[in-house]
Amino acid sequence: MSRIDEITRHVVAEFAPDIRADELDADYDLLANGVVDSLDLLRLIGWLGERFDLPVEDFDLAPEQFRSIRAIDAFVESALVKGPA
Amino acid sequence: MIVWTDEQRTLRAAAAELGAAAGEDHLERDPTGEFSRTGWALVRESGLLGLPFGAEYGGLGADLLTTMYVLEGLGESCRDGGFPFSVTTHVVSTGIPLQRFGSAELKQRYLPGVCAGTAIGAHAISEPDAGSDMMAMRTTAVLDGDHYVLNGSKSFVSNGPIADTVMVYARTGTAGAPDAITTFLVERDSPGLHFGTPMSKMGLRTSPLSELFLDGVRVPASNTVGRPGAGFLVLDHVMKWEILLSFVVNLGEMEHRLRECVRHARSRKQFGQSIGSFQSVSNKLVDMRIGVETSRKWLYDTAEKLVARKNVTTDVAITKLVVSEANLASALAAVQVFGGYGYMTEYGVEKDVRNAVAGTIYSGTTEIQRQRVAAMMGL
Repeated sequence: MSRIDEITRHVVAEFAPDIRADELDADYDLLANGVVDSLDLLRLIGWLGERFDLPVEDFDLAPEQFRSIRAIDAFVESALVKGPA
Repeated sequence: MIVWTDEQRTLRAAAAELGAAAGEDHLERDPTGEFSRTGWALVRESGLLGLPFGAEYGGLGADLLTTMYVLEGLGESCRDGGFPFSVTTHVVSTGIPLQRFGSAELKQRYLPGVCAGTAIGAHAISEPDAGSDMMAMRTTAVLDGDHYVLNGSKSFVSNGPIADTVMVYARTGTAGAPDAITTFLVERDSPGLHFGTPMSKMGLRTSPLSELFLDGVRVPASNTVGRPGAGFLVLDHVMKWEILLSFVVNLGEMEHRLRECVRHARSRKQFGQSIGSFQSVSNKLVDMRIGVETSRKWLYDTAEKLVARKNVTTDVAITKLVVSEANLASALAAVQVFGGYGYMTEYGVEKDVRNAVAGTIYSGTTEIQRQRVAAMMGL
């Protein structure tokens, strides 16, 4: 399973259990459409840190980085390659 | 178990010494809610305000655990509970977000004042209609050229009456969205910024608190702390530090209170024997001891986990809940152990109860901490 698929499955399972993973577009705005609220965002960041072994406390975080599945995947990619900004 | 170095012990001993001095005449100042300017001068001189900040800004560059250990000493020695609360509010409200999220320019401009204590800090989060539900805040910030214009009002601003700089959290996006809040560093003399008169309160009276009103306050966009829309994440970081630093002070207070209660229970004689020999009294002291040890474990374990860059969202919520409730239970037990003397204001024991109630409310109520833990469990 690709990373973006894994992120999609996690987001659907945790925050949008009424839809199927293949129904969630990678560019769908999770924040503006209320899929992920503020506490969900903390849970999501916590999961990303643990799943991908990222020291999330060291990153210059912004909600924008978690706006969509594609944005989350890009954040993880950048974090793994570059480390904290 | 953490083994403290001689250097850490020396720092703690110095904090304990100044705490005792800063707490003098606390019984006289409590009814009038008078902040200890003498204590502030002492704490400024000691360098304690710069504990967790870099030497390049005038700080001591201490790590989180050392900072907590020293503040625990302050809590253990200072009988004026409001004073350490103002100290930790100052450190966490402006210094901590600046250090973590501030631009190089902002750090250079404001962190030296935080470390030296020349610019007292506060943060403005709660509003009349948005306390625990901060995402519902109404205070707005609208970009106008290279400035943001802030309008709204804030309630319960600790250090408000004495603050020189305030970290204001305002809405820049759609209400309720996780990216709706932005953090701004605002100077006290900004046109349109007005502080209310100090508010009378149940406890922590010597730590002054007021409302804050923002009427078209123009704040340079460069005074944004963290990215626009990242205010919720800035606050999450601040709350982790606020809970660890403010409540480790409570741990020190509980240690002192337990020691005094044991001393009293051993020396106070009733029915021909020390009251500590009665199981109904000794059980209270044992519960107080359990509260101390449980609080210490949660505080320092969570801090070690945070330093190790682990996710501590749930741990911080549990820590806050455990320590604040243990502190309140300990303060109430102390009144019972001291009996009539505990109830009289002149012994200072009842004041601890009033102070401890505040701990179950500020930084997120006990109820909100439970809700947060439940949310982290996916409930």
